[in-house]
Amino acid sequence: MARMKFLCDAERCIECNGCVTACKNENEVPWGVNRRRVVTVNDGVVGAEKSISVACMHCSDAPCMAVCPVDCFYKTADGVVLHDKDLCIGCGYCFYACPFGAPQFPQAGAFGLRGKMDKCTFCAGGPEPDRSEAEFKKYGRNRLSEGKLPACAEMCATKALLGGDGDTIADIYRQRVTVRGKGAEVWGWGTAYGPPKGGQAATGSKS
Amino acid sequence: MSKLCKLLGALLVLAAFAVPGPVQAQSAGAKAQAERSAEQPGNNAPVWRDVKSGEKNYTTLPQHQGAVLIQSPLRFTGQSAFATAGEAWRNFRNGPLIFYGGWLLVVAALAILAYYLVKGTMKLKHAPTGRLIERFNSLERIAHWSTAISFVILALSGLIILFGKFVLLPVIGYTLFAWLSALAKNLHNFVGPYFILSLLLTIVLFVRDNFWHASDAKWIAKGGGLLSGNEVPSGRFNFGEKGWFWIGVVLLGVIMSVTGLIMLFPNFDQLRETMQQANVIHVIGAVVFIALSFAHIYLGTIGMEGAYQSMRSGYVDEEWAKEHHQLWYDDVKAGKIPAKSTGAAAGAPQHQH
Repeated sequence: MARMKFLCDAERCIECNGCVTACKNENEVPWGVNRRRVVTVNDGVVGAEKSISVACMHCSDAPCMAVCPVDCFYKTADGVVLHDKDLCIGCGYCFYACPFGAPQFPQAGAFGLRGKMDKCTFCAGGPEPDRSEAEFKKYGRNRLSEGKLPACAEMCATKALLGGDGDTIADIYRQRVTVRGKGAEVWGWGTAYGPPKGGQAATGSKS
Repeated sequence: MSKLCKLLGALLVLAAFAVPGPVQAQSAGAKAQAERSAEQPGNNAPVWRDVKSGEKNYTTLPQHQGAVLIQSPLRFTGQSAFATAGEAWRNFRNGPLIFYGGWLLVVAALAILAYYLVKGTMKLKHAPTGRLIERFNSLERIAHWSTAISFVILALSGLIILFGKFVLLPVIGYTLFAWLSALAKNLHNFVGPYFILSLLLTIVLFVRDNFWHASDAKWIAKGGGLLSGNEVPSGRFNFGEKGWFWIGVVLLGVIMSVTGLIMLFPNFDQLRETMQQANVIHVIGAVVFIALSFAHIYLGTIGMEGAYQSMRSGYVDEEWAKEHHQLWYDDVKAGKIPAKSTGAAAGAPQHQH
């Protein structure tokens, strides 16, 4: 089985926010929530500006999963971290724990009362039957079940954002690095997937 | 004139360039990256360092702390290595907080149970006289029970959120547990502010009789007579009750209120790191508060004859007052404290001793 991962190539990202828009459109994301965002480091500084698109990285040992008081997260066979909105109580702990700030909460009332958490699903829907109306309403489209990859990465004009099997996208990136001759760092992978384990795909564990 | 125009023009041009903040405020990291890019094109090490430091960058999206790519590194007490703040918090909460917190509550409950099995209910040594003295007026009782009932709701709902996943979830299953947790979370959120108001009222009403008194030294020296069974004469409140007031109600109550409010209103743009720290303090405070409350609830119910009735009806028997709070009883008898603060003598309930 593939181990799905995201990879953002900071040498290619041009901060067009196409991924953010693609995601919002594809999944009809709730008002006030953006499942993906583009962050620019050293904005406006010539020679130092780098942009990175970030969303849920579907961590191997996901902190959100570990702190959830109702245990509403689960990991698919593809390594995608999903959650069950029927169980979510909107406590916000996953937001405290996530290194990337991926979990978002639509405001459900006055004074910042949180609704049910919403985050990137790697376009893999939720626990409802694949491509059902209920699944779409709660989690957005289930593109993986249609044999497609996440809309953000598919839409990326410069192919900075890659989404798919970890080994495949790592190979693509490795080839780019070889051509460039510089910059082998893969942003966020150390935090999300842990130290590389001799080419072996990291496996998820639930605590 | 033309010189002045030129000067003004130059100033305008300067002002125009001064507007975009990020260009002007070049951080050390940006400078380092700009230099690195010139020397070794394609080497982004300074950028990756900045990203890992958890600093704020730039994003067009409005989400909370969205400009931070990865949370800053942090290490809690007892942790061997730095991790992102969220990961450090997760390890601290899921590790020591839940482990030691859980066992502290179990041990405290067992200790109370053991004390009860050994000593049993503290009964009056002599027959009640049938004459009643007012111990708590109606406002004091309202304040006490508001605080007490909201405390119990907060404690139970908090315990469900902290330990339910390990204790209840395996027993009652996901659907029922999620429903119960949603109820617990909403009760916790809405009862919390009510608890704070009750707590403040309680502090205001009871603080006067909880200051240090000379008799407290003797009480401490004899350990309150909890083990010997010989109670030390005390005023309206003995040192044990004062300890519960100052450490429990005042100190822990205020800590819980402040940290609770930080987490309750996420709409003030407080940082995740602030909410993580607030959560850690809230959990430690809660566990200690609940453990201490076991002793208070025990003595106020099955631990001591007449104690529950005193807070329920507001009245105690003279014999009860003499045995448990002799100095207070003496003061009441001497007329130093008005015996009926509400003047509702006719409505004084009959005791069942």
